Amino acid sequence: MPETPTTLIDLRGISHEYAAGGREPELVLQDVNLSVAENDVITLLGPSGCGKSTLIRLMAGLVAPSHGEVWWKGAPLQGVCPGVAMVFQNFALFPWLNVRENVLLPVGHLPPAEQQTRLEKALATVGLGAYELSYPREISGGMKQRVGIARALIAEPAVLCMDEPFSALDVLTAETLRNEIGLLLADHKHPLRTMVMVTHSVVEAVFFATRIVVLAAHPGRIDVVLPVTLPYPRDPDSPGFRAIVAKLHAILTRTNLPDNAEDATKVVVAIDDKRRRIAPVSLPYVTPAEVLGLLSVLGDEDRDVFELTERLAKEFSAVVSVLKAAELLGLVETPGQDVRLTPLGREVLAATTRDQRRLIREQLMKLKVFELLTRLIRVQEQQVLTEEEMMRELQIALPHEKPRPLFRTLLSWGRYAELISYDQRRHAVRLYELKGPSAL
Amino acid sequence: MNSSSAHTKSAPLWVDAAVIVAAVAIVFAVVEVALEWRQPLHNAVEIDLSPWALPQYALFSLARGWIAYAFSLLFALVVASWAFYDVRARRFVLPALDVLQSIPVLGFLPGLVLALVAIFPHSNTGLELACVLMIFTGQVWNMVFSYYDALRSVPADYRALGELYGFKWWHRFGKIELPTGAQGLLYNSMVSMAGGWFFLSITEAFKLGDQDFRVPGIGSYMSIAIERGDVRAQILGVVAMAVVIVVIDRLVWWPLVVWSRRFKLDDFAGAGVETTAMQRWLGRSRAAQAIMQGCGRWFRRVLPDPQPPVSGVLAEAGSQGGLGRTIYRLLLGAMLALLAWGAIRLVILLGRVSWSDWGDIFQSAGLSFLRVVAAVALGTAWTVPVGVWIGMQPKLASRVQPFVQFAASFPAPMIYPWILALVMLVGGTLQWGAVPLIMLGTQWYILFNVAAAAAAIPNDLVSCADLLRLRGWSRWRRFLLPAIFPGLVTGWVTAAGGAWNATIVSEYVHTGDKIYMASGLGALISRATDDGNFPKLAAAVLVMAAIVVGINRTVWKRLQNYANERCRFIT
Repeated sequence: MPETPTTLIDLRGISHEYAAGGREPELVLQDVNLSVAENDVITLLGPSGCGKSTLIRLMAGLVAPSHGEVWWKGAPLQGVCPGVAMVFQNFALFPWLNVRENVLLPVGHLPPAEQQTRLEKALATVGLGAYELSYPREISGGMKQRVGIARALIAEPAVLCMDEPFSALDVLTAETLRNEIGLLLADHKHPLRTMVMVTHSVVEAVFFATRIVVLAAHPGRIDVVLPVTLPYPRDPDSPGFRAIVAKLHAILTRTNLPDNAEDATKVVVAIDDKRRRIAPVSLPYVTPAEVLGLLSVLGDEDRDVFELTERLAKEFSAVVSVLKAAELLGLVETPGQDVRLTPLGREVLAATTRDQRRLIREQLMKLKVFELLTRLIRVQEQQVLTEEEMMRELQIALPHEKPRPLFRTLLSWGRYAELISYDQRRHAVRLYELKGPSAL
Repeated sequence: MNSSSAHTKSAPLWVDAAVIVAAVAIVFAVVEVALEWRQPLHNAVEIDLSPWALPQYALFSLARGWIAYAFSLLFALVVASWAFYDVRARRFVLPALDVLQSIPVLGFLPGLVLALVAIFPHSNTGLELACVLMIFTGQVWNMVFSYYDALRSVPADYRALGELYGFKWWHRFGKIELPTGAQGLLYNSMVSMAGGWFFLSITEAFKLGDQDFRVPGIGSYMSIAIERGDVRAQILGVVAMAVVIVVIDRLVWWPLVVWSRRFKLDDFAGAGVETTAMQRWLGRSRAAQAIMQGCGRWFRRVLPDPQPPVSGVLAEAGSQGGLGRTIYRLLLGAMLALLAWGAIRLVILLGRVSWSDWGDIFQSAGLSFLRVVAAVALGTAWTVPVGVWIGMQPKLASRVQPFVQFAASFPAPMIYPWILALVMLVGGTLQWGAVPLIMLGTQWYILFNVAAAAAAIPNDLVSCADLLRLRGWSRWRRFLLPAIFPGLVTGWVTAAGGAWNATIVSEYVHTGDKIYMASGLGALISRATDDGNFPKLAAAVLVMAAIVVGINRTVWKRLQNYANERCRFIT
């Protein structure tokens, strides 16, 4: 047993900005420090927009950080990392190469005999022997990802990076592949020991990890690092496993669904070097139909967040967004891990479509962002606000949000509640009551 | 320019042969008749080389372009619908179109001119019409194929909906079919317009036998400027053409492209519909609104809105009246008779081609073939790396795209004398110099398609190639070349078809009072036109069409199948 395992990848003070299409660069990752040592299996878990995928690409050297350094085996990394292989969510197979050629790609420089030995081993590991001469389009999604894994393993990488490797597969196939990777980790003779995996499934994170890194979003940063010491292969039904899942649930609920929604969504924005202000509270990017759907799923009972997530068959972070929106509108409350309807929520659920609209409208008007929006429209000449102007104003008022999804969200709620109307042709917003002569 | 037509199922060889013969037959049968009827005419309009005359000439050329485009659009809609709804007609219409698009535009020239001038002996109408029709033949084919494709891809649900609501044909056309085809039709319209301009300097001013034909326009302005060696006027002509292209692009195509995006069937809800400044401006204008509403009312009065069927009876589709069927059969019969007659005349015409002339034709075809291969190969050599480089950087691509589009739309023959002067300067002859001239007009299609294909490579695959450290030649061989291959083949088909067409103007160049001629099939066609040697012209056009169709059927079709099978990205 080596006393100190060697550090392979070391992220030092990484911040990363990403500028899309001439807009203000957006901070994707902020001040991330993380090191991957030999025999580490790290899973990255977090809501969408937390920069998980960017983080794993930084480790592979596919993306260079805006600030900070990536070190590989004690030296700064230049370009693509030599010891990393990657498995992609959508497989990234070369359609013009057959299974054999795809898998052999990383070892083209080796002597043919060595290539053949490795190929046979890799194909046997993932159970692909009979498919050697098939082309990617001829095999199923599960088989494609096996090819992706075999291609990664054949290089005998020091670190195997996997970016949501099971997300594009159906549930049963994903389960099978997950178990097979678990068995590889359990097999001490197999060289695969060090792995970094992006996932959005809590169970998957616990199933593999020696360390679970929970990330928070906007900007992406490390929230909690949770070590897991269970031996491989792990049994999701064992008490130890369940205890860690529960702990992880508690962490995720605390970071994602604090008991006071108003406080949690409060964002402090710098006005200049000295002064700060609190940005108006806005809605998560969800639609009215999603929130109303949540209300009818909840019904009269209290429900556990994770049970709810499973029932809706959605990503945890997506469910959390809907919950947050409902909570902001005063329709649900979330004590601890539970979710329940408020009296208002019950009223909305029982109301007619017209009354639902009225009740939601009243709630929306209590939100600062809608107050701001109506005020903005009123001060316009002719009381019409163009889309560009609205996005510009939103970006000033809520600089931490993405203007376009925020615009769409506000538009969908505003139109649903008959607060505002939108002219598709002129890309302009006006107040609903003040609707002018019918458009062209 | 020719466009690919991957969708026409390979018809048997004899169908191709029959169609080639028939098409060429009609054209030359008309020539024969016209020759007997023609009288000495003076059709050459005086061209004023002063810059002040240019706007007027530009307007004339533009008018011809748009009139031809209107015909093309109408033809495309009618013929594509016919081929789609009449299964029996489809079997000969599609191969016929495929062949027609392979016949060089200038092959139509003498027939059209002589016939139309004969019909309108005392005015310029005939000549103008001939000019318009030649532009038409450069525009129409790919539009038909595009609209036929659109008709085929109308989702069955929409057709069912149309039936349920008792749509008459014009409702189905206006509310279902046209919106489905709008985007493809528009893209092809842009390509077509460029194809129509390509031969502008020839279609507006040419010699046929002992006659000089000329209509006022930028093309004839340019050809006169070249003939007189007036460099200032040549530059002015080129600038005017450039302005015309840019103005059409900005004022017509660009707003239409933005507008047509709303017809994307797979558009997800919530994605904002884009508009351009001009549309917003029109939207605010009271006058424009009034006009649009007026048009809307008029359309509704002329073509009443569909009424849901009163009872459960579906529309009585398919119950063609007996009279309609009889007329249809008569028309078809008349067409076949015309074809047969044309074929006989063609055989008689070809009978006058001597054996030595046939030898000459085939030898020339061989030389032109080499030039076409060289032009496509050289074009590929520089456009592939540049296209990949552009395509993989979205920012760069959007900045470069208008320039490439401009280069592709500019009628290259207008500046042939300049390029030829350069070739002469370095001591070359037209024998070799024709190759860069051919490239000038055709390489852009390869660049376009390669860049588009490179832009469509999935990001993960690029990451994967980086991680595998595929570099240098192995990156090209294992990753980039296969990834762009489908686009490359599409580019090749268009470029090669265009290159054959371009040989006609590239192997036979007028500069000043001199004529430079290379030996090749294109030069042979040009000279036969100039000399009024119709039998030889017919034979040469026939051979060229046969070569283009033959290569399409054997080489390109196979490459296309291979590319689609192997190199398309699917998830």
